[in-house]
Amino acid sequence: MANWYRLTKALVLATGLMTSAAHAEETVVWWDFLAGGDGVRMKQLISDFNAAHQGEIKIDATTLEWGTPFYSKVQTSAAVGEAPDVMTYHASRIPLAVKQGILQEITPEDWSTMGLGKEDYAAATWDAVTVDGKQYAVPLDTHPIVLYYNKDLLAKAGALGDDGKPKGMDSREGFEATLQALKDSGVKYPLGSVTADGNFMFRTIYSLMGQQDGELMTGDEFLAGDNAEKLQNALSVLQDWTKKGLQSTYSDYPATVALFTSGEAAMMINGVWEVPTMTDLQKEGKLFEWGAVELPVIFDHPSTYADSHTFAIPANNGKEMSPEKRAAVLEVISWISKNSLLWATAGHIPAYGPVTASAEYEAMEPNATYSSLTSNMIFDPKTPLAGIAGPIFDVMSTYFVPTLNGEMDPAEAVEEIKLGLEDL
Amino acid sequence: MLRNRRSEMMFALALVAPFVVIYGLVFIYPTIKLFMISLTDAPLIGEGSYVGLANYTRLVSDRRFETALWNTGYFVLLTVIPGTFVAYAIALGVNRLSGRMQAAILALFFLPYILPVSVVYLIWDWTLNFQFGIAMYVFDLLGIQRIPVFKSTLWFMPAVGLITIWWTAGFSILLFLAGLRAIPREIYEAAALDNAGRWATFSRITWPLMWPVTALVLTIQLISQLKIFDQVYLF
Repeated sequence: MANWYRLTKALVLATGLMTSAAHAEETVVWWDFLAGGDGVRMKQLISDFNAAHQGEIKIDATTLEWGTPFYSKVQTSAAVGEAPDVMTYHASRIPLAVKQGILQEITPEDWSTMGLGKEDYAAATWDAVTVDGKQYAVPLDTHPIVLYYNKDLLAKAGALGDDGKPKGMDSREGFEATLQALKDSGVKYPLGSVTADGNFMFRTIYSLMGQQDGELMTGDEFLAGDNAEKLQNALSVLQDWTKKGLQSTYSDYPATVALFTSGEAAMMINGVWEVPTMTDLQKEGKLFEWGAVELPVIFDHPSTYADSHTFAIPANNGKEMSPEKRAAVLEVISWISKNSLLWATAGHIPAYGPVTASAEYEAMEPNATYSSLTSNMIFDPKTPLAGIAGPIFDVMSTYFVPTLNGEMDPAEAVEEIKLGLEDL
Repeated sequence: MLRNRRSEMMFALALVAPFVVIYGLVFIYPTIKLFMISLTDAPLIGEGSYVGLANYTRLVSDRRFETALWNTGYFVLLTVIPGTFVAYAIALGVNRLSGRMQAAILALFFLPYILPVSVVYLIWDWTLNFQFGIAMYVFDLLGIQRIPVFKSTLWFMPAVGLITIWWTAGFSILLFLAGLRAIPREIYEAAALDNAGRWATFSRITWPLMWPVTALVLTIQLISQLKIFDQVYLF
């Protein structure tokens, strides 16, 4: 009997303690779509944050599927008041999100609470989160695509320059000579290309359009003037590589990464977010010597497509956020932004200026090698139709797979894309 | 015996009420609502303003509408009749077995049917992935050119059709087996006494007596293949 009494007392005490702890601690529900090597870094940041804010703020994080599934879920859950407190968001999707009314404004007071402001970011990055003079998200990073390369295979083919970078990065002829040299040296796929995924290839193709100063939208017009021709040029180059057997065909995303890491493809165009995959593999001694550089110049001048990860606060329909909760959310965003040096090890270029200006960041590899591209970055056109899994993305990517694998004529694809875009 | 028609009526109503309520709530109401929304320009969530038949005229004039229609027709052609006859043939074979053996073989054919579509997708992607699918290594061994089955416009539909048949045949096989077992043994015995061969037995007895089941399976197949979405979306 005495035992029972003691047990009950202990239980009551424990429950009391737990509720009081829960009362003081603010839980921030967090959604992201970071499932790759960068997701591991983000989980590290989150647990560091939780450790630093023990008893005050706790992040309850969930990783959802990237792309359409994530954005549909955000839209529907915000409409019924079930959205998270904070989420990652692509800058390219912000115009659409603002039109749909699913983001809360980040007010000037919020910025001063966080101790962040316009002067901490590059002008283009700040502009990417701004709609009609108001900010709707806090930029975390910029993530362009780069060219990964296998130094061992390139050296064997005699295509590795003295600076440790691939030869022929400054012209179409030069780069094709490098690809051909790799092929002649017995490499199965000189270039690993995500040719089975039109969504992915949007990035490469848009970069190649950018190298010719091409625009997707001029005012409200799609592919105006000679822009259609520029798109066709970009598609023709890539189709040509397929026809000459210089790139992997019909490869989906995981297969392309596997082709590169297994040495079957000597180079690969992919996002900087695969940097951690390479560093981690190499740490385990399972990878060759590798590097990453800015995309080759195939046309007139260097240009690389980039998007930006940001933090956004959803506008939860019918649910007001308490001031305490909002303060906690702002603290989360602010802390992670200021500690984004770790995020840079995920390959991304942190958006917060003081981090990229630090000596540690400037010494970081391979980021330092490809950081030259920051001055040549192009972003999605600023319209509710653009962005990851947005309508433009959707229409264009449909025609990329057959074209890149040689089933469809580039001119025909451009014609279809133009008609499809005009239907939007 | 005197019967109170009124109270009987009430009793009957009370018995069907739960069904009517649920049916109305989860089928009739959403269907009406669906039609109403189709007359507005509503976004994914929330109300829109009335636009009349604009959505319908836009559908018909959409350049991809005709393609979608043709593709659906092509897929139905690839799956409904072939799927039904594959299941028929398997059922005839299984029916000739008996005891444990029959149960085991039937289970083998039925198992794919219980898989969720995502698992079906993963299994076949492992098998037929252009770079790393296990079937591709077999192709290499035999010296056949690798085929990007799920990525080329030519092979996609036949491949998805084949997988759909593999996936859904189990259910049709069960229906056919039930039908075959319902045919009285005596008819076959009589035919045997008349020296009827296998083909005659099949074409004069099994086929006509099985026709109602065949028609049922064809109908079920037609309905489900017209509704196809998951496989095509995933592959």
